[in-house]
Amino acid sequence: MSQLKEQMPTIIMGGFLLVYGLIVQSGALEPMAKYLHTHKTLDLQVTMTLVIGCIAILGAFVNAVRKPGNSNLDTFILQPLGGIVLILLMAMAIRWYAEPLMKIVSKGLEPTLGFKIYKVLNLNYVVLGILAGVLLTNTWGIPKFAGPGVKCARFVLKMGVIMLGARYSFAELAKLGGYSVFLVGFFVLGTVFLVLWLGNIFKQPKSMTGVLSAGMGVCGVSATVAVAPVVKAKSAEMAYTIGTILTFGIVCMFVFPTVGKLAGMSPVQFGAWAGTGILNSAQVAAAALAFNAVDIETLKVAEIFNITRVLFLPIIVLVLATWFGKETGQKLSFKSVVIDKFPVFIIGFLILFFMSSIGMFSPPSHYKGKYIDVSYNDRSQVTPEELVTLQDAMAKSEFSGLKPEQLEAVTNLIEQHQIAGNYDERNDKKAFDHVGRARMTQLQGTLAAAKGKEITLSPEVKSALKHAVKQVKKKSKTVVTLTDFMIWFFAFGLIGLGMQITKKAIFQAGGWPIVMGVIAGITKAALSFFVVLWLIKDVVLN
Amino acid sequence: MSDKEKKITIETGDAGKGTTEISEDANTEELEERALSVFSSDRNEDIVALVFCLITTFMVLLFTKWMV
Repeated sequence: MSQLKEQMPTIIMGGFLLVYGLIVQSGALEPMAKYLHTHKTLDLQVTMTLVIGCIAILGAFVNAVRKPGNSNLDTFILQPLGGIVLILLMAMAIRWYAEPLMKIVSKGLEPTLGFKIYKVLNLNYVVLGILAGVLLTNTWGIPKFAGPGVKCARFVLKMGVIMLGARYSFAELAKLGGYSVFLVGFFVLGTVFLVLWLGNIFKQPKSMTGVLSAGMGVCGVSATVAVAPVVKAKSAEMAYTIGTILTFGIVCMFVFPTVGKLAGMSPVQFGAWAGTGILNSAQVAAAALAFNAVDIETLKVAEIFNITRVLFLPIIVLVLATWFGKETGQKLSFKSVVIDKFPVFIIGFLILFFMSSIGMFSPPSHYKGKYIDVSYNDRSQVTPEELVTLQDAMAKSEFSGLKPEQLEAVTNLIEQHQIAGNYDERNDKKAFDHVGRARMTQLQGTLAAAKGKEITLSPEVKSALKHAVKQVKKKSKTVVTLTDFMIWFFAFGLIGLGMQITKKAIFQAGGWPIVMGVIAGITKAALSFFVVLWLIKDVVLN
Repeated sequence: MSDKEKKITIETGDAGKGTTEISEDANTEELEERALSVFSSDRNEDIVALVFCLITTFMVLLFTKWMV
């Protein structure tokens, strides 16, 4: 009977999930989901809640009638079940309610504040997850039934890092010119060594310094998670690193565009600088758009520079494994670093990255699952009504303010009913693709010029052009689904990570990680500013 | 391990169910680290994560690409 009592929280959570799943299935929550913009996830909500609810209740009853043992089933499934269900429940609340609500509130406050607080403070599931975990631990404490489940967090976080590999492709790296890759590599490694050196000066624990160096050098959250086991970082140190990176990024988001404009940087130069100097990819995009919302080249360059950093992750893991081994007095041969110390889950990241690069998930040229397909396809065409709109606008000389190449792209769109290459070159895939993509860029430029009020287009024409561009931008369902898994793994892992952070641990670390992060970040931003101005002219992309 | 080795008793929390004796000069940082995971070693944890992810990837490919 007492065993059943112990399982009550899991049974209640399971019951709640089942009831919630049934309510969603009945359609009662559809209006609210539409308001929160989560209506596309309703099917997933039903499946997830019903499946997890059933497992929770079933598992709790097994736990209640069975004596706890030491088998794998007990250690990995039955004992942690309560905690796993609790964290999943919190992850669902964050992904389906807290995060969308934050976006809506932030949008509502935009006219008053002048910016989106959601974007500026990066209040997405990463931060909300950690905060929720920390809050629970330091107020009510982790409930007794959830203790073993919290210990699954790091394991799930590792699965998130492995899945991250599916979002990138070697083709992105190949888009950058040789010296741009060198530039990114130099700053990634330079920042890592700078933080390690600062850690030595400020006498910080090796684990803290190691994890902060990876976070500041590579790309924030994922790098922090990937390197933490290598340098034996504690949860609080990981959270400190993530906090430092995001805080630094917030400042950069405001400072970078202003400095870039004052220095008269070209769109490409600014893209390269933001992509090198700012760590978080969302903040990179925000800074690039703040600098130049009209020329999409800035954002493109910034994003490519930013993701190239992620590909340095395995190298950084090797560097830090060697450093940590030496610092802790172990004699490490090359074999012991590469084979014994190299974390297996980073090999998983590389396996998925390789699969993605050879085109197993989507065409190899994809970026986070998105790719451009300008081949002839009925589904890529604009609608007959849109075609008439464009023809009328052309006849009325509405496109007279366009540059010759933009006008050519619009004319060709009207001729071919979709964005495509030259019909005569359809057998030469490379040339066809190249011309089609160039036309798409010109149409995007036209739309940006209209948005920037450089030219005037009627709303119908703008909508037709937007639709034409949208039609050739495809999304790989495989990568999108793998990314969804990654997000859930990260959400689960980060809530669990937050639950392991006590007030004591936060105060123990003191303010030094922030000081070190800010010094390293400013140094990197300043150095990369001069190097970009000096080295990067206008063409950095192959 | 010598019998004369000094030992101390530590609390091992819920998963360990109570207390256990460890060598006085044991690597407590390593033990602390392991106590935060359900796995007995990093390598085990990594391999299981890798296998789970490969299975997930296979299933995703099956339902979003190969069977569509």
